[in-house]
Amino acid sequence: MGENSPKRYWKSLEELEPGFDAPHDEFPEPLDGPVTQFDRRGFLKAAGFTVAAATLVGCGRAPVEKAIPFLVQPETTVPGRAYFYASTCAACSAGCGLLVKNRDGRPIKLEGCPEHPSSRGGLCAVGQAALLGLYDSLRLRQPLAGGKPSTWEEVDREILAKLTTLRSSGGAVRFLSGTITSPTTRALLERFLKQFPDARHVVYDPLSSSAILDAHEQTHGVRALPRFRFDRAVVIAGFDADFLGTWISPVEFTSGYRAGRALEANPPRLSYHVQFEPRMSLTGTKADRRWRVAPDEIGIALTHLAARVAKLAGAAFSVAGLAASPVPAAFLDELAQRLWEARGRSLVICGSQDIAAQVLANFLNHLLGNYGATVDLERPSYQRQGNDRDLQTLLGELESGRVAALFIAGVNPVYELPGGSKLAYVLKQASLVVSFAERLDEASSLAHYVCPDHHFLESWGDAEATSGTVSLFQPALQPLGKTRAMVESLAAWSGKPQPAYDILREHWQANIFPRQHRERSFEAFWDRSVHDGYAEVEPRREQGKTFRFNAVRPILSSARTSAGAFALVLYPKVGMLDGRHAQNAWLQELPDPVTKVTWDNYACLSPAAAARLGVKEGDVVRLEAGPGNAVLELPVYLQPGQQDGVVAVALGYGRQGTERFTKVAPRWIWARPGVGENSLVGVNAAPLLELAGGCLRYTRSEVRLTKTGATRALAATQKHHSLTVPQNIPLLGGERRDMVRETTWPTFLRNLAEAKHAAPAAQEDLWPADHAFPVHKWGMAVDLNACTGCSACVIACQAENNIPVVGKDEVRRQREMHWMRIDRYYSGSDDLDVVHQPMFCCQCDNAPCETVCPVLATVHSDEGLNQQVYNRCVGTRYCANNCPYKVRRFNWFDYARDDRLQNLALNPDLSVRSRGVMEKCTFCVQRIQEAKIEARRQGKEMADGAIQTACQQSCPAQAILFGDLNDPKSRLSQALRSPRNFRVLAEFNFRPAVGYLTLVRNRAEDQKEKHNG
Amino acid sequence: MSGRLLTLVLLIGLLGSAFTLAPQIGALHLPGNQQGYEPVQPIAFSHRLHAGEMQVACLYCHSGAESSRHAGIPSAGVCMNCHQFVNAPLGALRAEEELAKKEGRKPRRIISPELQKLYDAMALGADLKSDPRKTPTPIAWTKVHNVPDFVYFDHRPHVATGVACQSCHGPVETMDRVAQVQPLTMGWCVNCHRQANLVGVAGKKVNASIDCSRCHY
Repeated sequence: MGENSPKRYWKSLEELEPGFDAPHDEFPEPLDGPVTQFDRRGFLKAAGFTVAAATLVGCGRAPVEKAIPFLVQPETTVPGRAYFYASTCAACSAGCGLLVKNRDGRPIKLEGCPEHPSSRGGLCAVGQAALLGLYDSLRLRQPLAGGKPSTWEEVDREILAKLTTLRSSGGAVRFLSGTITSPTTRALLERFLKQFPDARHVVYDPLSSSAILDAHEQTHGVRALPRFRFDRAVVIAGFDADFLGTWISPVEFTSGYRAGRALEANPPRLSYHVQFEPRMSLTGTKADRRWRVAPDEIGIALTHLAARVAKLAGAAFSVAGLAASPVPAAFLDELAQRLWEARGRSLVICGSQDIAAQVLANFLNHLLGNYGATVDLERPSYQRQGNDRDLQTLLGELESGRVAALFIAGVNPVYELPGGSKLAYVLKQASLVVSFAERLDEASSLAHYVCPDHHFLESWGDAEATSGTVSLFQPALQPLGKTRAMVESLAAWSGKPQPAYDILREHWQANIFPRQHRERSFEAFWDRSVHDGYAEVEPRREQGKTFRFNAVRPILSSARTSAGAFALVLYPKVGMLDGRHAQNAWLQELPDPVTKVTWDNYACLSPAAAARLGVKEGDVVRLEAGPGNAVLELPVYLQPGQQDGVVAVALGYGRQGTERFTKVAPRWIWARPGVGENSLVGVNAAPLLELAGGCLRYTRSEVRLTKTGATRALAATQKHHSLTVPQNIPLLGGERRDMVRETTWPTFLRNLAEAKHAAPAAQEDLWPADHAFPVHKWGMAVDLNACTGCSACVIACQAENNIPVVGKDEVRRQREMHWMRIDRYYSGSDDLDVVHQPMFCCQCDNAPCETVCPVLATVHSDEGLNQQVYNRCVGTRYCANNCPYKVRRFNWFDYARDDRLQNLALNPDLSVRSRGVMEKCTFCVQRIQEAKIEARRQGKEMADGAIQTACQQSCPAQAILFGDLNDPKSRLSQALRSPRNFRVLAEFNFRPAVGYLTLVRNRAEDQKEKHNG
Repeated sequence: MSGRLLTLVLLIGLLGSAFTLAPQIGALHLPGNQQGYEPVQPIAFSHRLHAGEMQVACLYCHSGAESSRHAGIPSAGVCMNCHQFVNAPLGALRAEEELAKKEGRKPRRIISPELQKLYDAMALGADLKSDPRKTPTPIAWTKVHNVPDFVYFDHRPHVATGVACQSCHGPVETMDRVAQVQPLTMGWCVNCHRQANLVGVAGKKVNASIDCSRCHY
């Protein structure tokens, strides 16, 4: 980096060490292989003969191929044509809108539904990957009775017999589920439970937000989760809430957050976001100011802020005896002032599971007048309904043997709850346990009956995730096995068996239809709702009472962790969440957006804490939380930006069923196992959760770490495919520019004003423009300011482009196949800043890869694409070595495609590449061709925006824009005229077709930047 | 010495592969070229009769060509649009009528043996109504015009531009059994695209791309 560079960016801690030398080779393995006696002449001879023989054999007839048409073709199906059906995602309880792309009777891709009022076209990584879950060969194909395959008739008969006895004996029936947003399921469940004298529905969320609901019960008298409107907020204070990554409804929140940070708008908007958190979360990486605060100090920081805001509001709030603030007082003064100035347009968000802290957050939002504006309690969200107090009661009942029948739906208490092993023992004693799990897991393998539910893509259903928006599920294919929708099971056991479709329609006719006024007839309303995938109806209003000030208590001090011990933070990862998708290979191989580690969980420690313990990355530590608690052994990961007294461990790992990944990697002589010693992926950290004080807690104090001496290598991609400019390359003016750029809000505004008057600088180019682009020239813009690093695009690309999964060992060898990666750069040391930069083939006009290919397998197209012709490629890998952006991926193996069911998820519109072939991002050329052909077929001009690449489509933050650079009026051309536009490695004149838009931070200009201008 | 041995082994290998190909020497073509391929189909459907004599439009049966990548082979249901009424060739019907007149009885329903295969596939009984005792079995036609899997040919732009079906498929309306007339090799495709850019298609100027990624992705 040059002396004049204002910031120094780095990706891994090694780069900060003195004497660090960037690796010169792209591939880490040594080049000198085993020496043989085979000489050059012999090799050429053998190659020549082989080619001759292969040619000769190729002269024969090709194998016979059959074409088998329908006997009677369904009216709405044309073989080879894709159809989109609107539906809803049930991969978590956020309920985002979906468009299911169907080809020849099966879904091949999930996309966000652009019209859906909450998700607005985005779809997260987990939602995208739900497609692979549909084609999971380990999903149950039929009901199980006592662990053995059975039939529905038999299971129904036996369960009904047991239920009849229960009805007369009055035994306790408990229905344990996760949040159920479906109004129909809830109604049916009510009807089912009504049959029994002692029946209760207990809801808990493995990623609980129970404290928020409880706090609102205390302050507003309604147990509800408000809907947070980030789109209306201009000042956001986040307290340990990862709302852009994993918290409640990330797609909806990201889309709202993005709306508040629209720099392309006129006038430009940029909200001010402050984050207080113990570990580096995805949301923290986007914050304008970020403070490292230990988990036990979150409440104290909130109290300090509340005291200041109360003073500004003139409200009484006594904080005598308050412990010192973990954040400088001057900063809190400033933040309180900014929040106060943005009354009604500010937002205080707290992710803590401490009810007192949540009450304080409510207090702040109330003082700031945010209720009814950015915090909507009247039209609440139903995305989290868990009640951890109920759960605690139920666990007590179970232990005392009071529960006669337990139904488990959508959750896995044995795995997800502390004391799961004890619970497993209890479940074995129970007289009737029925599970609706889709596959055998820790809990369902203990159930007497497993009545597998459909995958959500196979089933009718509905969801009211936020009050007033009811989304519909419609089946996109016939169920793959003899599974049955849970509502059908419940209906059968309530004495009124009915198909799910009829149940749903009846409920809608009786309950949803009267809540709308647009359509007169139910048929028309139903048809429109099925077409749109959702219906906007009269919201169910919650009548919150006036704010009860007497509920507010300051948090004056906290149980401090003693010296030498750590505070533990258990957190969900973007791909893995609570572990419900742990069997999904795409999500396992998705690099964590912050740590960039795949296929594992680990103990995150700050570099200082690791130095104190004397451990380095990959060293296994033993994590002890006092007597009676589980002991975990985890490898260490060094996470800059983490609070020094904190160890953070991801939940969702070590799940039963991940044994399958022993076989995911290619089998060859140097292959190493892809799973841990427990033959699972990662270690389950849930036993260290605490269910105390009516809340499931994700933090605890007094955790001790000891070095075990063992090591476990992590499969981290952060140092892979690094953009490095060798020091010895002479550059014009000796200037080395950063890969990512950022600026501050005042500088941006000044530049914008200047750019309005300045004429664009004419570019002189010594290189002849030897490519003509007569019709289109495709390009892309990536807005670093909008990108949150959420990695939805990575999975969208994987699903669209048939990208194989390579397994942990191959990732360790730097052979991951993702065409799209998100480079995460750190800068600074104490106040760590993070930039996420999506990186994929930039389709350079002067492409270095094209000039080195000996067989012309990569050439430039008339539309500016850098084409990769798989059938020409002979695998020299020269192009990958010469690629400055390190975006080319080589097929070292024929990756596993032997699961024929899983192969149904493949996109039939492009090839599955074989071993020895180079591949890379094509700008989704199959979508470009499809849109061009459709335009020609309909005799129309190509409209701007008619082509959306997979990554662009899925992006909840609309950070990616694809379009035609030849059209000066296209949205892309306009975006790239912004003064924020820069090209990565522009100094080399590769002329990439991808422009990046500078990140803007909402903070004062720093001195250096002023100096640099 | 080992070099000699290697040459010998490789030479034997080459001769061996030549020998295995010897029986089909008449059918030899350049690799990937299937020109002249004329497989036997499960039902002896005659394009000469339907498209030639009866003048049924190509797109009546291969309707996917307009709206999908694949022109598609018609479903048996499409055949039944006519063949629920037409069960045998005219000649056979006339002969039966004459025979019936001669024998002084009502003419019997005559079903041609090839059409019987269609009815069997649809699981129809003698009265051409669905017969529950039979199981419907889709007809497995043999593909004649088949490009390799790494080629993404699309019918839509060709049909929309007005390229005649016969330009690629040959005079199908004269063939009893369809054979591949054109080589369908990449050179052949590219030549046509180049030619189309020079002289246009059906009197219109066209932009027929010869980019690799037009077909390969």
